[in-house]
Amino acid sequence: MPDIYTSEWYDAVRDAINAGVGQLRSVPEGRFVVAVEVVGDGVSPYVDAATERRFLMEIDEGSCLWYRELAPDEDERAHLDGRVDYRFRGPATVFDEIAAGLLDPVDVALRGAIAVKGDMRLLLRNAEHVASLLEAYTNAVSTTWPLGQPPYAGAGPDPHGSLHQQGAATGA
Amino acid sequence: MRDAYDAVIIGSGHNGLALGAYLARSGLDVVVLERRHEEGGGLCTEELTLPGFLHNVHANYHTFVDLAPPQQDLALVDHGLEYVRPDVQMASIFDDGTALTVHTDLDKTCESIARFSDADAETFRRLYTEAHGYVNLLLGTLMYQPPMSMKELTRALSVFGVEDRSEFLSVKLRRETIDVFLDQHFTHPKVKAHLAFHGAVCGYANDVPGLAMSFPLLVGKIDNWNLCVGGSHRLAHVLWRDLAQHGGVLISDAEVASIAVDEGRAVGVVLADGTELTARRAVISTVDVEQTFAHLLPAAAVPAELAASVEHDLVHQPWSLFSVHLAMAEPPHYEAAAFDPDVDRAWVVNLGYASTEELDADWRAVRAGDLAPRCRPNAAVNSLFDPSDAPEGCYTGLLRQIAPYGLAGKGPAAWDEIGHWYGRRCIEAWRRFAPNLTDAAILDWAPYTPADIPRKLRNMVQGDWMMGEVSLANMLDKRPLPELAQYRTPVDGLYLAGSTQHPHGFITFAPAYNALQVIADDLGLEAWWRDV
Repeated sequence: MPDIYTSEWYDAVRDAINAGVGQLRSVPEGRFVVAVEVVGDGVSPYVDAATERRFLMEIDEGSCLWYRELAPDEDERAHLDGRVDYRFRGPATVFDEIAAGLLDPVDVALRGAIAVKGDMRLLLRNAEHVASLLEAYTNAVSTTWPLGQPPYAGAGPDPHGSLHQQGAATGA
Repeated sequence: MRDAYDAVIIGSGHNGLALGAYLARSGLDVVVLERRHEEGGGLCTEELTLPGFLHNVHANYHTFVDLAPPQQDLALVDHGLEYVRPDVQMASIFDDGTALTVHTDLDKTCESIARFSDADAETFRRLYTEAHGYVNLLLGTLMYQPPMSMKELTRALSVFGVEDRSEFLSVKLRRETIDVFLDQHFTHPKVKAHLAFHGAVCGYANDVPGLAMSFPLLVGKIDNWNLCVGGSHRLAHVLWRDLAQHGGVLISDAEVASIAVDEGRAVGVVLADGTELTARRAVISTVDVEQTFAHLLPAAAVPAELAASVEHDLVHQPWSLFSVHLAMAEPPHYEAAAFDPDVDRAWVVNLGYASTEELDADWRAVRAGDLAPRCRPNAAVNSLFDPSDAPEGCYTGLLRQIAPYGLAGKGPAAWDEIGHWYGRRCIEAWRRFAPNLTDAAILDWAPYTPADIPRKLRNMVQGDWMMGEVSLANMLDKRPLPELAQYRTPVDGLYLAGSTQHPHGFITFAPAYNALQVIADDLGLEAWWRDV
C-alpha cells in the first residue's frame, strides 16, 4: 500500500482512474490538465502551515496520463502546452479526509470548502466520468498514512464546521 | 474618425464596455459605438431634480461586485471604482409598525427574523449557510459560463446525487414558484413577504413557476447589495477608462443604422450619418434582439425562421418599474424605528408588503395592465451611504413601484398623463411610514415612468429592464431564443453580448464575459483573464 503523497500513491491513483474509465459508456474528448492546490492548515501533518503542495494531472480521452507533484519552486507551466483547465484549491485536512474516504468530494464542493475553477459545463456534461474519477481518488486506493491518519485526533477545534459531521454521515 | 477596426461593438452599456476592454487588452483594435451622448446604458446617473442631486436613473443595486470577473480583470478599483455595502442592507416595514431588517451580519438578520418566528430564523440561517457554501460555485457554473440546457443540468445533478444533499438543488424546484418554496420552508407571512420582496427587486417574480430554482442565488446574495460611490455611472466611466488605456475607442452620438454583411459575414456597420466602419474580425451587438435582427441587419441576411422567431417568440418581462427620484432636505425617519431602530439605516426598504398574497395580487394587476391597487413602492436613500450624491446636508431618494408598461386600454403613452399623479401617490405611500417626509422635506421630485425607459434606453423594449423575461422558458440555453443563446448568430462574425443573453439584465457582466469566451475561441485569442 503506498504512502499518501508519494509517487507510488500518484501512480496508484492514476491506475485506479484508468481502471474506472473502462467501465464508462462515454468519456470527455480531448486533453485536460487539472491542478490541485493543497494548502497547509496547521492541522494536516502532510502540509506545513502557510505552505502548499501542488499537483498536476493530465487527462486524455478520459484516461489519466500522469499525476505528479510539483516541487515548491517549480513553475507549473513547464509541464503544460496550454493552460490549466481545472484548478481545485482547499485546506490540506479536507483533501486528506477525501483521500481517506471520510469526506464526500461533492459535499465538500457544495459547501465551498474546496474552490473549483474551470469550465463547469464540461464537468457536468461528463458527470459519470467525474464521479468515477472522484471514486478512484476517494476509495479505490489503499493508502497508508505515515504521519497519522485522518481524522486527526487532538487537532483542536473542528476547522471545517459541519463538513466533518456530514463526512461522518456519508464517509467511511 | 478611423474607418476600420478589428472589433466593432454596438452599445456602450456595461456589457459593451467591459467586452471592449477585454478585447482591447487582448490586443484587438476596438471601437464601441453609443447612440446616446454618453456611455453606460443603464449605468446612468443624472441630475433629474435639482443641481447637485445625482440620481441613478436605472441601475442602482450592484449585487455581483465580489464575483464579476471584470472587477479584477480590468482593475476597476485602480481606475477609481468604489463601492459601499451598507450594514443594514434591507428592511420591510409593515402597516402595524413592525419591521424586519437584513444585515451584513447574519446573526443580526436572524435576530430580526426571530422577532417574528424563531423557527423561521433557524430555517433562514440553515438555508443561508447552505447557499453560501456553494453560491459562488453555482454562479460560476450557471452564470459565468455559456449556458447549458436544463436537461444537461438535471442529469448531472442526478449523477452526483446532489438532490439528496441540498434542499436548493432539488429537481422539483424547477417546477415550483418561489411562493411554494417559501410556504414549504417558512411560517410567518411577513418573513415570506420580505424574502419574496427581495426576489422581486432582483427581477424574480414570486408567482412564476420554476423560479424557485433561483432561491439559492437569492438567499446567498441577500446581503451583498452594493452602492457605487459617486453614482452608478462611475462604473461606466472606469470601464471606459480601461478601454481607452488599452487603445480602445468609444464614440458617442454614433447611432448605428445598419450592420454591413458580405457573403453571409458581418463586415462592419453604417452609422446614421452615413459613416461606414469596417470590422475586420467581429461585430458585436449588445442591444436588443429586435434592433439587431429586425432593423440593423439586412433582411436577406437573417434566416426566415429566425426572423419569424424574433417577431413572434421573444418574451419580455410582463411588468416594468415606475420610479420617483427625489431631492430631499432630510432622510426618512420611520415610525417603525420604535420597533427596530435599524430601519432608519436600511438601504432598500419594502414599504408595506406583508404577505406573498399581496405581492401576488399586484403581479396579477400589473400583468393585466392595471396599477397595483395600493402603492407599495420600495425606497432607497443612497446619500445615507454616499453623501457625495447630494449637496451637503441633503439627500437623494428613490422610489420604485412595480407597474405595467402599457396601461390597459390606453397603452404606454398614458403614463405621460398620470406620471405626476402616480408619483405623488408613491410619495404619499412613503410618507405613511415616514411622516417627517413632508412637502417641506422634499425639495423636488421627478417621475420616471415605464414609458420613459425605452425612450432613454431603446434596448429596454417595452420598459423591460431585464431585456427579456425571467422565466424558466426564457432561461439558460433558451434565452433569448435557442438559436441565439450561445452568443453566436447565424451571421458569421456577428455576436450578441448584451443583457438579452444568458443570464439576464442586472449588473452581472455575465453576458459580456460569456461572449468573450466564445469570441476568444473563434478568433484564437489567448485567455489571460481569470476563471470564475
